[in-house]
Amino acid sequence: MEALPPSDTEIVHMTLKDPNQYGLLMERYEVKLKRYIDRLGVRNPDDQLDVLQDVFIKAYRNLNSFDNNYSFSSWIYRIAHNEAISFYRRKNVRPEGHLVGDGNEVLGFLSSNQEGEEVKFDKCINVEEINRALFKIDEKYREPIILRFFEHKEYDEISDILEIPIGSVGTLLHRGKKQLANVLNKDNLRI
Amino acid sequence: MEENKPQENSSCKGSVMSQIRGGEICPRSKTFFQTRECTVWFLWLATVLIGALAVAVTLFVVSHSQYALYEATHENFFTFMVEVLPFLWIVIFGLMVLVGVYEVRHTKRGYRYPLWQIVGSSLILSLAGGAALQLFGLGYTTDHVLGEHMGIYSSQEKIERRMWQNPEEGRMLGKQVRPLMPPALVVDFVDIAGKSWAVDVSELTPLELELLDSEENVRLIGVLTDKENSFFHSCGAFPWQLDKAVTRADLSAARKVFETRVHGYGEQAEHALLKVTGKEDSDDDDKSPCSRIEPVRRFEAQ
Repeated sequence: MEALPPSDTEIVHMTLKDPNQYGLLMERYEVKLKRYIDRLGVRNPDDQLDVLQDVFIKAYRNLNSFDNNYSFSSWIYRIAHNEAISFYRRKNVRPEGHLVGDGNEVLGFLSSNQEGEEVKFDKCINVEEINRALFKIDEKYREPIILRFFEHKEYDEISDILEIPIGSVGTLLHRGKKQLANVLNKDNLRI
Repeated sequence: MEENKPQENSSCKGSVMSQIRGGEICPRSKTFFQTRECTVWFLWLATVLIGALAVAVTLFVVSHSQYALYEATHENFFTFMVEVLPFLWIVIFGLMVLVGVYEVRHTKRGYRYPLWQIVGSSLILSLAGGAALQLFGLGYTTDHVLGEHMGIYSSQEKIERRMWQNPEEGRMLGKQVRPLMPPALVVDFVDIAGKSWAVDVSELTPLELELLDSEENVRLIGVLTDKENSFFHSCGAFPWQLDKAVTRADLSAARKVFETRVHGYGEQAEHALLKVTGKEDSDDDDKSPCSRIEPVRRFEAQ
């Protein structure tokens, strides 16, 4: 029987004994974090690489602050979120728009309304239209939407990443979806 | 959609791993994070304690502010409260609640709690802590010690002393220095500024005379009849109880006594007025200086 791969937490413990093990964690999260940083609006590949490197260096420096009772994924996403914000501040720029991913998948998430709001999304909306709409909604709603619908994070994970109460996650998502629907409607996208 | 470029990712990993292997970066110790977390909680505890102390002093002031006799010192209850309320402590309490909320929010998992829960718990802890501290007399002690050691700090004692030591306005704080020798109706009295006075006690009740005889600090209301010769006509004597545990019942009793005294002088004044206006036989000898004191006028105005 094939042995299960080590969990993130196990790799963290291994890394603290043998730093070479950190490479395993980097391999697991490089692609995910790069995509996340991209979605947060860091569009230039060189900048993405800088931010990603900072994320991994910061994560390594703070490995001892990682709490085993919580998810490593949320913890490193939190660092990525902070680093992206630091990047904007350093460069004194605003996010450059969002690359959301597969349009149908995204629309599927958006139309599965957990808060009970009747919003029907037209399946014909393409990714570019969603990208534009996402860029038009308030910044405070953008990231919860990205994390929920594009990074497929649970509410408690979003709460840990954005460091806000779980209740607020629900509220932000609800309002964000409503605003997103309004923007898409304004753009005559038959919703 | 833009694809991830493997060569970028590899270069990222390679660069970070080479820094790690080269010893350029290493994990911070667990103690560092534990110390940081403990510091935040310690600061939170300190803010709650300071908040509790602020509540304790406020409770002390509110329960000992001698509002029972406010007409003796102030035009109305509002002006009295403006002078005695410990605004500094109220502001400190508010600030501590805000700082406490900020600190909890900055603990490892502080963000998980809704704002109202953090604010509510900080308020409740400070209020409960303040009430407990005040039970042990810490409100008075804090106020008193700060007042003694910080010239700039206006302790309740300083405020009360300032309010009551004003012979020109008919208030005096001090103690009788020699027992009353009947049939004399004048006692030797030294105020808190150290000045000696001859105080006419002819209008005081036996209980008030007993209070004066205790040779403890007392508050007098009356009239400064002769400034040059330091002669004060006393119209009422009340205990100085700032450093004593005073219950609401004590304050109510004190108020009743005060009202009765001042009301009595008010009736005298009315009687005198009737005589002056000719509606009654005039007899100036009946007029007591106490019928002209400010508290009587304030009572009449109400």
